[in-house]
Formats: sequence, structure tokens, C-alpha cells
Amino acid sequence: MKTIGLISANYQGNRFGELTENRTLASLPYGGRYRLIDFALSNMSNSGITTVGIIAPYNSGSLIDHIGIGTPWSLGRKNGGLFLMPGTVYGVQAEGTRFLLRDLLVNQDFFMRDNADYVIVTASSDVYNMDFRPLIKYHEAGGKPLTMVYTKVPKGEKNIGFFMDIDEDGKVTSIKKEGKGWSNYFMDCFIIDKKFMIDFLQWFKALEHMDMFEIIMSNMDFMEIGAFEFRGYLGKINTAKDLLKVNQDMCDYGVRNEVFCNPERTIYTKTQDEAPAFFMPGSDVRNSIISAGCRIEGTVENSIIFRSVNVGKGAVIRNSVIMMHGDIGDNAVLENVIADKYVKINDGVKIYGGDEDTPIIIGKNQTI
Amino acid sequence: MKKKKCIAMLLAGGQGTRLGKLTSSIAKPAVSFGGKYRIIDFGLSNCVNSGIDTVGILIQYKPLILNRYVGTGESWDLAVADGGVHILPPYAGETGGEWYEGTADAIFHNLDFIDMYDPENVLILSGDHIYKMDYNKMLEAHEARNADLTVSVIEVPMEEASRFGIMTADKEGRITKFSEKPKNPDSNLASMGIYIFSWKALRKALLEDHEKEGSSHDFGKDIIPKMLGEGKDIFVFRFEGYWRDVGTVQSYYDSQMDLMDDVENINVFTKHSRVFSNSNIYPPQYLGPNANINNSLICNGCTVYGEITHSILGSGVTIGEGSVVEDSIILPNAIIGRNCRITKAIVNEGVTVDDRTEIGSADGEIEVYGKAKLSI
Repeated sequence: MKTIGLISANYQGNRFGELTENRTLASLPYGGRYRLIDFALSNMSNSGITTVGIIAPYNSGSLIDHIGIGTPWSLGRKNGGLFLMPGTVYGVQAEGTRFLLRDLLVNQDFFMRDNADYVIVTASSDVYNMDFRPLIKYHEAGGKPLTMVYTKVPKGEKNIGFFMDIDEDGKVTSIKKEGKGWSNYFMDCFIIDKKFMIDFLQWFKALEHMDMFEIIMSNMDFMEIGAFEFRGYLGKINTAKDLLKVNQDMCDYGVRNEVFCNPERTIYTKTQDEAPAFFMPGSDVRNSIISAGCRIEGTVENSIIFRSVNVGKGAVIRNSVIMMHGDIGDNAVLENVIADKYVKINDGVKIYGGDEDTPIIIGKNQTI
Repeated sequence: MKKKKCIAMLLAGGQGTRLGKLTSSIAKPAVSFGGKYRIIDFGLSNCVNSGIDTVGILIQYKPLILNRYVGTGESWDLAVADGGVHILPPYAGETGGEWYEGTADAIFHNLDFIDMYDPENVLILSGDHIYKMDYNKMLEAHEARNADLTVSVIEVPMEEASRFGIMTADKEGRITKFSEKPKNPDSNLASMGIYIFSWKALRKALLEDHEKEGSSHDFGKDIIPKMLGEGKDIFVFRFEGYWRDVGTVQSYYDSQMDLMDDVENINVFTKHSRVFSNSNIYPPQYLGPNANINNSLICNGCTVYGEITHSILGSGVTIGEGSVVEDSIILPNAIIGRNCRITKAIVNEGVTVDDRTEIGSADGEIEVYGKAKLSI
């Protein structure tokens, strides 16, 4: 059975200060060399899906620049390939709305034109490496028109999004917006019969301002929904704290092997052809991620350093994320800081973020 | 089709026997260099940085990795309409097939290819040199003098001149004599193996040389002496800058170390005339809690728990806890176990080194360890 993919990128993160002022969450730099959408795109590509639509937001400049025609994900194709589709601008959107019905409605040609049987729909800002093929099989065998992907989280109340109750037959019995304790947390990823998707859009088009799952939530009586558990690592980024934490998770041996170093499922991204990282005499780097093109003369601990960052002599970076082209002066000290692209920290400047829970964010192109 | 002012023919078929194990399964131009590059990156990047968008790559010896690496040429911005890279292997014709017998013979067998583009000039390059050069300047000089052939030369110390092909030129730069590895050199201008021919002159010379009994069909030995004898307009172009022929293990090693030690002269870090490459997509490197890295180049995909001093780690290399790597080059995807000691050595691509292995020594020759394991 043929499956196509759809990635929703038309939502903002509004808890990241300046980081998402001029870019969509999907194109937020992550993990030294990636943008968040790389994971959704790579998961599709690695699962053999060769037709992928992306619903882009109005401020999609950085996203388009990153994705191009989809070549890194093998989506620059004649047959199928990448479809970049406009999302709608709809005033101030509710936070967390990943699947605005109106976005799906205005782009329903994408479903209608293709002869696929199923559509896998995902958000664009979550970090995980998943093979969708078992999901497709499970969905096919289950015979329900919609299968939601979830993962178990220990503290539901600490997560933002949808939670599901599932009966012993694997049927979703209710969907809620709050979780408590161990919860089934919806990963903003589902597979749906294409025909059902088209019908659904027609039935509920009057509610186009709502999220698809808000509509489903209150219409559970006549919904047959399956559930598929994902048991791998999920990096969900809702706050600046999450951003620091999920970046640092890359230093974890298990996460690194599962998500980033899986030879069967590479996470692809746009390549920039930087030179190897240069560790000068005097550098001291521990438990950190360093990217190509960096020049390191100082100390780096528990941090993620993106492409082409200079770390000056005697500089100390701890528990921080320094995005591409950062320039950290000699003897500068940064702790619990998230610095956007092209940030320049002058010699000797010391910046201490509150703690790991409240890192300081430094906006793009700033000089301090 | 647009007429081309100049196309490049890159000679990449040689075995590079003096590189020993490094070229036992990979053609020399495709041998890993500087962690994330392959030797051919320098020639291809020079082409694209000089605005040459059509490159024929002549292959012969074990071309598997080379072919895959070059691909469509997209990595060097050479996937273009009306040009781009073309892999040119030896081929069979009506009367059977023939191997490329020499550098000039390789070009002779591809007359059709060059005629197809019908360029005014043809740039002949070697796929195994490390340098950054703007071929435009050479082309300008070539055209300004209306030359039949321009040979790029570099000044070498007089006492080393007898190791090179030496050009003797008059004040205007007109070449009067060419001597291959002369015992008593009268000039210190060494040929870099980079030639710009006017296509008309080259075409004629190749056809005539092909008919000549006993010719080895080599540019240095046959074509240039022949053209000199005919009184053609042949000039030198003086190149000033970093240029290395990485023909031996020692020069291959030294030149890579220069990427760290001689950044002033061979700079791969600058955004100016970048060196492009077609590396796989690896995650950024991870340096463990006890990693200790000093004066080294480390590539994406590396996982380092040990101690690295004055060394180069290629893409996807793993260095286990307690291992010490010094003055060494670990080629891509090699896995070094725990408590190993690697000193002044080159570990081949994809090789796995068991725990507690000792390789190389500080005062010995540079050791090349293991046979390259080819993988994609």
C-alpha cells in the first residue's frame, strides 16, 4: 500500500524569545549542524516515503533556504518528491496547534492528486529517529482509519500537548490536553487513510480554525482510532530549557547511537562543507558536541558548539548552546546560555544564565 | 551548445604505487586527505573556483570509490547544464579495447569528448596535487601571449631541481628547453604538471604523436619536447604559493600536517576559494568526559574518549578510552579500541584496531596500518 508524508511546519514556538522571532520552529538550529525539521524529513525518507509535503508558515525564509528542493533527503525527484505548500495566516494561533484544519483544507489537492492509500502526518520540531514502516504495517493490520503514535512519559503534567487513554485492544478511548503521572503522550505523528482524511476535511470544514485533534477530541463517539507506541528517544522542545536539555541529550551515549549514529537511518541535513574542527594548543573540551569549521582554543564542557564557532584563548563555555558562526572572545565565560547565529562575545565578557532551568537567550547577530 | 573558452581534463587514472597500502584498493586521487577531503577535491575545487565548469576525469586504476565520490559533481557545483563533470574510462571500439598507455594517450582517446565541447583551450591537470590555484590567471597569460602551450611552474631550491621536470625559459618566459630530472639543472623552474594548450595545437600534436613509433605518449616525455622542436609558442606561468605532489607516504603525511601547521600557505578554513568535498552526512563529533585534544583536526562523526595530540581524525572515527594518538592521521571510519598507542602512523580507512594495539614509533618511518575497507 502506498504511503505519502505530510509535515506540518505552520506553528510557532513562542517560548524561545528571539530565537523564533524571525524563523519557524521547524528551522530552529539544533544539535550542532541540524535544523529541527531534519528529523521529520529524514524519518520519512528513511522509511521509503518518496512524496512529502511540507506546510510552511509565512516566515519560511530560513526553512526554504534549508530545504531547497529536498536533495539531501533524496526528495529531489521527478516522480513524487518534495512539495512545499503554503500554510494559512490566521491571527494569533493557539500554542501547540500542529494540525490546523484550515492548513489541511487549503492544501487538500496534495492528497487528492496522489494515488496513495495512507498519509503519515507529523509535526516538524521533534527530535526522534523512527522507522515508519512498522507503523504502516500496524495501521494496515488494525483496519482503523487513523492510528496515533504515542510514547509513554513519566510525568504527563510536565508536558504540553495531547494525551491518550487506550483500552486493552489498542483502541484510543479518549484524548485530553492534560496528563498526570505515567501518560500516553501523543507525539504529533499519525497515519491516516487518505480517503478518511478527505472525508474528515469535508465533514468538519466549518471548524477550520481548530486543530484536527481538538475536533477529534470532542467527536470520540464515532471515531475509530488506533494507537502505536514508539519506544525510542523523543526530544520534545517546548521551552528554552527543553532546547538546552535536548541539545545536551546528544552527549548521551544511548541517544547518540540511537538517533544520530544509526547506520540504517542517517539523519540528513543540508551540507555546508566546512573544514574539520581545529583544536588549538590549550583547548580543553569535555562531554561536548563540536561541529565542523570550529576553532577552539578555550574550555568547553557539557555544551553544543555549532559550525564555524571560534572559542578564544582562556574562554570557558559550560552548559551552553552556541549556534553557528558564534565568536567567543578570549577569557569570556558563558554558562547556561543559548546563543543564536552570529553572536559575538567580546574578550573577557562573563555571562551566567540563572541555572539549567532558565538559560539566557542571546539573539541573532548580537554583540556583547 | 555554448562554446567553451576552456575545459579541464583531469588525469586520475594512476595507481600511485609509492603510496603502498593507501592505494591498494583506491585510485590515488580518491585517497582520503585532511580528514574529510579526498585528494581530487583540490583539483576539482580549483576548477570551479576558477570558473571552469566542464571537467573530464580520466580514470583507469580501481575507480570504484573515485566514481562514487565524484558522482554528478554536485558537491563541487559541477552539476551544470552544458557542462559538468564527465567520468572518462578507457573503452572498447570496433577493433577492440585499449588501456590508456600514457597521459597524452588518455587525452588522445578522448578527442571526441573535447571536440564535442570544441573549446578554445584545454587545461590538463593531475588529480593528485595539493594546492589552491586560480587557473584564470594562467589562462589570461596564455591568451595574452597567444601561446600554443603554457606550462605552470614553481621555483624549487636549485639543489632539489634534479628531482623535477625542469623548464628553462628566457626573460619573456618563453621555454627554450625541457629536461626531465636533469643531473645538472640550469634552471629551478619545476613543471607542476599543469598545462594549458590551445586545443588546435594540442589536437594536432596528439594525432601526430599517436602515429609515432616508440612514443610513450606522455606529455612530459613526448608532447612537450615535440612541440618545442617544432618551434611552437610555449611559455611558463610562474605559480607562487603552496603546491605539493603527494606521491610518497612521507609527502602525503607532511602535506596533511601542513593543513594544521602551515595554515598561512594552505588554508582550508577560509571562505575564500573554498575546498569543497563530497562527504557523507555525519553528526557533529562527540568528545567524551576524559577526552584530551591538543593541536588537532577532528571531523564530523568522530567519537573521542582518548587523547589526541597533533593528529588528524577523519570523518566517523572512534577513539576508545585510554588510547593515545600522536602525530598520526586516522583515515575516515577507522575504529581505534581502548588503550591503544598510535604514534606517527596512518591508519587506513575503515580499519578496526583492537584494544591495546601499538602502532608506529616516534623515530621510525611513517607506518601505514591496515587495508582500506571500502564502504559507502
